Amino acid sequence: MLEVAGLRKSYAGRVVLDDFDLVVRPGELVALLGANGCGKSTALRCVAGLETPDGGRVVMDGRPAMVFQQIHLVKRRSALDNVCAGALGRLPLRHSLAPVLFPRDLREEAMTCLDRVGLASRAGEPAGRLSGGQQQRVAIARALCQRARVVLADEPVSALDPSAADQVVALLADLAHAQHLAVGAVLHQPALARRYADRVVGMVSGRAVVDAPPADIADLDVLYATGTP
Amino acid sequence: MSTPRPAPPRRKGPSALATVITVVVVGVHVLAWQATEFSPATLVQGWRGMADFFAQALPPDLSGEVLGPSVAAALVTLCIGLLGTTLSIPFALVLALLAARATTPGVWAYQAARSLLSFLRAVPDVVFALVFVTAVGLGPFAGVLALIFHNTGVMGKLWAEAMEEIDLGPRDALTVAGASKIQSAAHAVLPSVVPQFLGLLLYRFDVNVRSSLVLGLVGAGGIGFLINQSIRLFRFDEMVTHILVVLVLVIAVDQSSAYIRRRIAT
Repeated sequence: MLEVAGLRKSYAGRVVLDDFDLVVRPGELVALLGANGCGKSTALRCVAGLETPDGGRVVMDGRPAMVFQQIHLVKRRSALDNVCAGALGRLPLRHSLAPVLFPRDLREEAMTCLDRVGLASRAGEPAGRLSGGQQQRVAIARALCQRARVVLADEPVSALDPSAADQVVALLADLAHAQHLAVGAVLHQPALARRYADRVVGMVSGRAVVDAPPADIADLDVLYATGTP
Repeated sequence: MSTPRPAPPRRKGPSALATVITVVVVGVHVLAWQATEFSPATLVQGWRGMADFFAQALPPDLSGEVLGPSVAAALVTLCIGLLGTTLSIPFALVLALLAARATTPGVWAYQAARSLLSFLRAVPDVVFALVFVTAVGLGPFAGVLALIFHNTGVMGKLWAEAMEEIDLGPRDALTVAGASKIQSAAHAVLPSVVPQFLGLLLYRFDVNVRSSLVLGLVGAGGIGFLINQSIRLFRFDEMVTHILVVLVLVIAVDQSSAYIRRRIAT
């Protein structure tokens, strides 16, 4: 469960988030839609703790995991080591100073996570040698290995080709439904949101102006129109 | 009806600031010329001294009893450079981690580490060598100690700068997952900079071998010590032999380090 209420954030006098509310329940994929600069990414970064909001309330189960547009894996390390790194928060330093010190049961858990995203066979390869879509799936496996109940995805598919993008969003939806995760994803593809999201939250200038299942919204493109819809 | 073509912007003459800067730069050079008593005429007048020197120095004494010790001393010089570089790695690494924004635990640690690095860099290795010669006596050990101190300052700074330039995304991803500063340094920051770190390490090894030569001149062992000795005994032919050996050593280290750095970069 993720609950955000009255989130506010401004940079140098420019208001980016203005009383932003968002609820993501376990088992649902919520798509955040809106034009560039409407505050979607800032909202996610505030929830993840990468930015400090000026005001408002964020409540969730445990720590969130975050998936980024730029993927942010360590390219020289193997896919498996990258997935294991998701567990750093619960490892003592003596088991986490170098990948060789990762305990055996963590490696096994990480392999299960890689298997869940369909990449167990590529576990030993450096992450940088995988395709963009595969790398993003490794990043999602890292989030699973973190055992996070809340997964935030900031434009996870904006850098991917259409088929890889479809695969990644389908995976996020599947994880939300099958593992009961609360998944909040910023998307720039209304078609993907319509196809996979359980709910769409539309943002305009730092506020949530739409919050409904995609079937109830006639035209998602209106969120990208200039000015208010 | 045609719209008038937009006129290109007029080219401006040099600004007042540019003129002032030019005058100041020229003035500083004139002062420097006087302060260093720079005088090409004196150099030309002194050609006889140079000729005498070369007459005594050439041909170099390549006999076994000069060349043998020379090569042995050159190997000591190489060893001083090697140990001085390798043993400074742990200190440079810790200070670099404290002095890079990506990994520093706080502003205080950052400023303290930067200041310490600046100090170690500011004190020339020759000065460190003179200090350590008084502590441990004449010989290569003092040279190794001097290089460890100075190289920690230079390499720590270079490594910290390398870490300042990386993309912080992978670190942020681990921070969100709950990783501590040390964990995110070990799993996101350091793995991303391994090639840069190795390249800088080899570059410093290259520089340190050349520095350890100068350290020998102040008594810290190696071939620099032999060069100093042959100058004092006016055996310039032996000195040229030592310099030729140094030339071979420096070229060998330079070429092999450049080769390895090229291989890492690709």
